[in-house]
Amino acid sequence: MSEPVISVRNLQVEFVTRRATLRAIDGVSFDIHKGEVLGVVGESGAGKSVTGAAIIGLIEPPGRISGGEILLNGRRIDNLSPEEMRKVRGRKVAMIFQDPLTSLNPLFRVGEQLVETIRTHLPMNERQARDRAVELLTEVGIPAPEKRIDGYPHEFSGGMRQRVVIALALCAEPDFIVADEPTTALDVSVQAQIISLIKKLGRERGMAVMLVTHDMGVIAETADRVAVMYAGRLAEIGPVRDVVQRPMHPYAKGLMGAIPTLEASTERLVQIPGSMPRLSSIPRGCAFNPRCADVFARCHVDQPLPLPVQGRQVACHLYENERLKTSEVAR
Amino acid sequence: MSPRPYVEVTDLKKTFDVSKPWLNRVLEGAPRQYLRAVDGVSFDIRKGETFALVGESGSGKSTVARMVVGLLNPTGGEVTIDGISMTDPEQRAQRAKLRRKMQMIFQDPYASLNPRWRVDRIIAEPIRAFNVVEGEANIVARVGELLTLVGLHPDDGKKFPHEFSGGQRQRVAIARSLASNADFIVCDEPTSALDVSVQAQILNLMRDLQEKFGLTYLFISHNLAVVRHMATRIGVMYLGRLVEVSDAKEMFTHPRHPYTRMLLDAVPDLAMSGRARIPVAGEIPNPITPPTGCTFHPRCPLANERCKAENPLPINGVACHAVVEGRTLAHPVAA
Repeated sequence: MSEPVISVRNLQVEFVTRRATLRAIDGVSFDIHKGEVLGVVGESGAGKSVTGAAIIGLIEPPGRISGGEILLNGRRIDNLSPEEMRKVRGRKVAMIFQDPLTSLNPLFRVGEQLVETIRTHLPMNERQARDRAVELLTEVGIPAPEKRIDGYPHEFSGGMRQRVVIALALCAEPDFIVADEPTTALDVSVQAQIISLIKKLGRERGMAVMLVTHDMGVIAETADRVAVMYAGRLAEIGPVRDVVQRPMHPYAKGLMGAIPTLEASTERLVQIPGSMPRLSSIPRGCAFNPRCADVFARCHVDQPLPLPVQGRQVACHLYENERLKTSEVAR
Repeated sequence: MSPRPYVEVTDLKKTFDVSKPWLNRVLEGAPRQYLRAVDGVSFDIRKGETFALVGESGSGKSTVARMVVGLLNPTGGEVTIDGISMTDPEQRAQRAKLRRKMQMIFQDPYASLNPRWRVDRIIAEPIRAFNVVEGEANIVARVGELLTLVGLHPDDGKKFPHEFSGGQRQRVAIARSLASNADFIVCDEPTSALDVSVQAQILNLMRDLQEKFGLTYLFISHNLAVVRHMATRIGVMYLGRLVEVSDAKEMFTHPRHPYTRMLLDAVPDLAMSGRARIPVAGEIPNPITPPTGCTFHPRCPLANERCKAENPLPINGVACHAVVEGRTLAHPVAA
């Protein structure tokens, strides 16, 4: 297999506060290959957005990357100086944020913002950059781009604004894009359009995409692989079909069962008792142990690490035992 | 029980004046502008059922909810609850009795609870306001009972709202809505601000309470999957008009209005069944200058000249010329 575009190895992110040092990300590892979409799901506070921000070098003090490494095309980018990182960001890696209204400058025309970004990263003159901006707007599906390029962000609807933001991210043809909740602020009918756009662009341009969202449906539609995060740790990561339809980690199981679907109207939704722990009080051992139905003694002591089970990785002691059993049988 | 529906909404209208200020109008000659947020909506809710209103942002579903409980005065039309008109000035005295019978749960549990009040005071407020229970000791007992009912501990009443998570706050809001023994609860996107696992807890709680007390819900949501889980009947709104009203099961197996179909097709497919879908086109237009005729025609795959000229009226719960005329798309209906 070819080298991954992005490789995250045992990432740790900490936030230093007056009272304690909080570990927001604890030992997260994954790869994303060319043309692949990795979906990252989890509830608020699971650390999905922080992971995205860490990759793109946007962790601000008091937060810091305290361990692990991030490789872009085989080269470490987590220890670059801010100046060097700025050259990588936008050129090689880009980000799409949740709220398209705050990621565009309301005082500048859309075209000016695109041209500025293009000229920062590519050796082009004003004319060429503007032509390229029109091309990008066409590509993201904005009707009459020659006219719309001179509009201000407020003249665009939410969906159209998100398309502009996507065009901005594409300016320098990055190898890797982090899309952080790109459809959360949009209506379902517009959401469907944006999802298929991101999917299409990723495939056509061979970009690696990390799609951060809390919406399992969006992941099922878009992602090739999915990572389920809980309290800053990976609970399960694997091919989207496996994880969505046959989740193995108790948290992933609960999460999938909790989602109401159009297909089956079940009487009751699966309910995970309690809520995600605060970063300041993550329980010892497995972070999910107070809410887990299958909890046993070891869960209170050892933190489970993601281990390969049935074509995916699951961080749960249940399957560790199962793995031992099956290997014994094989022997 | 009377055969009459519990809530009747007839030809409800709300127009907002969005004109520029007077001086601008005089100097620039700008005309007055009106936004028809709700334009002739009629439906009824039977006792003990959950009637859901769905639609995209700007479709007027929250405006309808606010008019039903009386937080907004309708521009036209009528709302009748339990046989008492919410709009008729003659029936003011009867209406006062009705007030305690209806409550509202809002979307944002962070904004709907007073941050300076302890939770027991928040929940006791409707009890005191309507004199439901007499005597301080009895009120305390009732508040404890309500907290237990929604899955919190009676001691939680001593805490402030900020000490709770989003889901717990929504539980407090539900406890408050039950405090006056209400039997009609308007829920405006009650779980949109919550995470899925917490959403499941709240939806289950709402269904349990409905069963226990025979509550009637008007449930507003943009999430069709949530609506499918909760609703007995569903109304679909588009640009201030009700385009389809159906039984919940019927709506999901046989959507009739093209907009309903489009909405269903737009929902991400968790089962990855690979069902055939029409790609969604366009966005909701500006409600200040809505399209002529049927407001959905610029996005509708079935639109013809008649749709552009004539506003369809609801027939058998569907407001669509194409459905009435039998024009259909060769499209496998979402199963």
